[in-house]
Amino acid sequence: MYTQPNSEGEQSAALNTNTYTNVYNQQQQQQATASSLLVADCGAVSTKVSLFGLVEGQYRLMARGEAPTTIAPPQGDITAGVIQAINVIELITGRRFIEDGRIISPEQSSGDGVDVFIATVSAGGPMRLAVLGAVSTALEKLVEQAISGLYAEVQAIPSPAFVAATANAPASVGVGGVGQPSSPGIGGQWTQERLSLEWERQLSRIRDLQPHAALIVGMADGPAGPTPLQEACQLLINAARERSAEYGASASAGVPTQDLAINPYSVIYAGAPQYVDAVRRMLQGAADVTRIDPLASQAQLGAMSVAAGALHEKSVIRQIPGYERLRSWSGSAPLATATSLSSLVRFLAQHYAMNVTAVDVGGATTTVMLAGEQGEFVPAVNSGIGVGPGVGAILQQVGWQHIARWLPFSVNEEEIRQFVLNRMLHPQIIPTGMRELQISQAFAREAIIVTVEEAKKQSARWLDSDLILATGGILAHTPRYAQVALMLLDALQPRGVTSLVLDRTMLIAQIGAIASVAPITAVQVNENDAVSHRLGTCVVPFGDLQPGQLAVRVGVEYSNGRQLTVDVMAGSIEVVPLRLNEQALLTLFPAPGVDVGLGPGERARAAEEIDGGLVGLIIDARGRPLVLPSEETERQARLLQWAQVLGA
Amino acid sequence: MTGPLGWSVLEQTLVRRERWPGGKVKCVPLVYPGQDVLPDQPVLRIEQQEKVAESVLAGQRLSLPATGKIDIKAVRDGVNAAGEGETIPAGLRGRVVDITRRGGVLIESRAALIQGTIGAGNQVAGILTMWQPNNFSQSGPQAIPPGAILVMPGPLNLNMLRLAINSGIAGMIASSIETRDLEGFLQTDLIQLLNSDNVEQTQAHLPPLTLLLTEGLGAMAMPARIMNLLSQHQGAVVLLSGVTSIRQYVRPELIISLSSKETQQNWQPVKPDLALVPGAHVRVCSGEHEGAIGIIDHLFAYQQMFSSGVRARSARLRLEDGSLLVLPLALIERIG
Repeated sequence: MYTQPNSEGEQSAALNTNTYTNVYNQQQQQQATASSLLVADCGAVSTKVSLFGLVEGQYRLMARGEAPTTIAPPQGDITAGVIQAINVIELITGRRFIEDGRIISPEQSSGDGVDVFIATVSAGGPMRLAVLGAVSTALEKLVEQAISGLYAEVQAIPSPAFVAATANAPASVGVGGVGQPSSPGIGGQWTQERLSLEWERQLSRIRDLQPHAALIVGMADGPAGPTPLQEACQLLINAARERSAEYGASASAGVPTQDLAINPYSVIYAGAPQYVDAVRRMLQGAADVTRIDPLASQAQLGAMSVAAGALHEKSVIRQIPGYERLRSWSGSAPLATATSLSSLVRFLAQHYAMNVTAVDVGGATTTVMLAGEQGEFVPAVNSGIGVGPGVGAILQQVGWQHIARWLPFSVNEEEIRQFVLNRMLHPQIIPTGMRELQISQAFAREAIIVTVEEAKKQSARWLDSDLILATGGILAHTPRYAQVALMLLDALQPRGVTSLVLDRTMLIAQIGAIASVAPITAVQVNENDAVSHRLGTCVVPFGDLQPGQLAVRVGVEYSNGRQLTVDVMAGSIEVVPLRLNEQALLTLFPAPGVDVGLGPGERARAAEEIDGGLVGLIIDARGRPLVLPSEETERQARLLQWAQVLGA
Repeated sequence: MTGPLGWSVLEQTLVRRERWPGGKVKCVPLVYPGQDVLPDQPVLRIEQQEKVAESVLAGQRLSLPATGKIDIKAVRDGVNAAGEGETIPAGLRGRVVDITRRGGVLIESRAALIQGTIGAGNQVAGILTMWQPNNFSQSGPQAIPPGAILVMPGPLNLNMLRLAINSGIAGMIASSIETRDLEGFLQTDLIQLLNSDNVEQTQAHLPPLTLLLTEGLGAMAMPARIMNLLSQHQGAVVLLSGVTSIRQYVRPELIISLSSKETQQNWQPVKPDLALVPGAHVRVCSGEHEGAIGIIDHLFAYQQMFSSGVRARSARLRLEDGSLLVLPLALIERIG
């Protein structure tokens, strides 16, 4: 577990207490005059625009519009979708915000126009980052940690000399040692021919990856000396030459011609400091080099993350068709949606001194972020995994049986594949039938599960969450609140006592961006509109649950004095009525060996009243990890039973 | 046809496309920037071609290379040409605006554009040819000019594709195809194909027949408006690309350059109006009524609820048969 700064720089959108104050001071004048804001979130599939205005002195959400994102041909302009979504708001409010293809600003006396426009972006796909040089397993893991909060995909491409030197071979393959025989080991002898093959293999990997940017790592005192740094440069030079020769490789497929421009690679150099000038000289013309401190431990993760965030903005966000126009509408540059979300999650964790998990299931990206009250932060932005175009990647990763296991009806591979193909070709559609909805929700569960697994790779200890915030189209548009609760419980499998909150308005991912220009608005919107759909408190006993035996006895004392005791058996899930705006005192009597957060068998009594919610007080005694019956009929019956109990 | 926002048929648009046969080839441009070109005019000559991977369809005989070269004289004479030294026609009427670094020719053209839902195969140029019932009969395979781009108004199947590739045609345009038939023909997992990042590499392993499906997977008919457009341009040399990549936002497309007569005087590209408003001509792009065409009769101010329980902004459509249908806006696309 480590603390990671905001990838866009601490100053940009961090909604922590200190920067909050600073930003407030800087923006005070603007804030004082801003009575209305339009905030656009441009996702891979849909663009959401929200209008905020002052209502009785408080900033409130006034209207929302949604439209397909328009970065693909024939529109090829991200602002077309934004305008379409704003048109929906115009229809709802009767006000005008667009004139001659531009945002009307500031707000007019007629009510038309807005004072501030802000955009967050998750469209455009992930940044593909090649990690070159002396890439050890430990360094690769550090890089993965550093970019885990960004829309980025990493591929380690260690230099041939480094591969040879570390493949169970003596260090004879350093500088000048290339081609010398090495011990047979696992790799056999490293002849000149074999090194050439390795060189070709690495070039081929770069060719396949088609990286937007590269990171060069490694110190000069490694097993292969400084050679990996030199080879990293040479690999990049070769790749740049090939890319240049294949100028416009996708043009014949209909990619707009403005995409054909070939820029030099952007390179972060985090290797041996004494070689930075040599690297710059070598890469002159082929790459722009940004130097940061050598990556050697977690202490450098912050700088690495900030540098990679800047690269993402440069190589992905700014390349989105229509970016310049979108940028011209706003006083601040569009922010990566994940960066904005991370600001909010960490702010909430610090401000309320609790462990907060945020889950955002989008069309092409699934994000899980865990922020701890002690400053811990574990982000996992799983680019390419989602319930829109990313649904195919989920199927490829987990297999159709993993989807089918969440369905209370029989399904075969053919049906799942048809669903996936249809969703990939028509990512904007929404499920109008129940069967389609349930398959979508099964994919959402798996998207969260694989993303949590990614997050857990970063941290030896996974914090139990006090608060789980859920957002993204599939969750926000779910017809029943209990369906969201069940999806979160199935996929995240929280333990102990936690609260579930649904961001029905899909605003939380934008709060961090709003805070960068209008901090007061951000706080008020967050409290009034973003986290307003409280699903309920959830008690999850874990440990030694014996099937059919009592797991926990729950004592509830309502604020009106009424008392209720519920026995919850292992393997079941129960809902105790506790509505929104109701409070109750909770006492938990777990069975021996069963833990509710204070240790096996330890009884717990809440010091403060717990809040009710749209679903109620949920007692999930199905066990951790959740194991579904292997027999199909039994599994389906169990899924139906759980759904019925919750009202899903 | 299911572009994310509709308007997948643009009858008047300005396109810029690089003419490139795909794959690892070395080409020599035969034209220069600023030069006007005709669709059947050779613009590239293949100097060196990487060996084509063994055909995935065992035993088939390929009568045309993957480049889909057309030679009008050869077509008329029923003669095919292949191999290094062959020339690649422009496929577009317009002006050369650039020569790309790899030697491709960038051409700007005033054209009609049809965007498909799914397709496969590299860019090819060919003579747009409407399917006739005896095209694939035992006695009549010669009825299709080799190198043609054949339009099949209805759904395709695996057998038709096999006959098509043996007939030596360069490309096919059809309404739809069942998934298993398409995967059987391409010998690949469609999900993997659509998810591919490296478009060029993926296409290299596909059979040398470029496909464009206007409606997608299943058994849907081709809308009359597309059939009419294609019929109007029968015999024209057109440019077809089947490349489909969800990750790269690439869809298959057919580009039909407009004649000089069609682009005279105040010609302006028609910009698609995306707004779903009452009176807009729309098409249902998914679900039970996929492919149905109608007019927006009413836009609901409040979200409507559907059988899944999902609430969504919705429209009431008056379909071509006069019936009314309420659907979420996300399921309809504007087509005019």
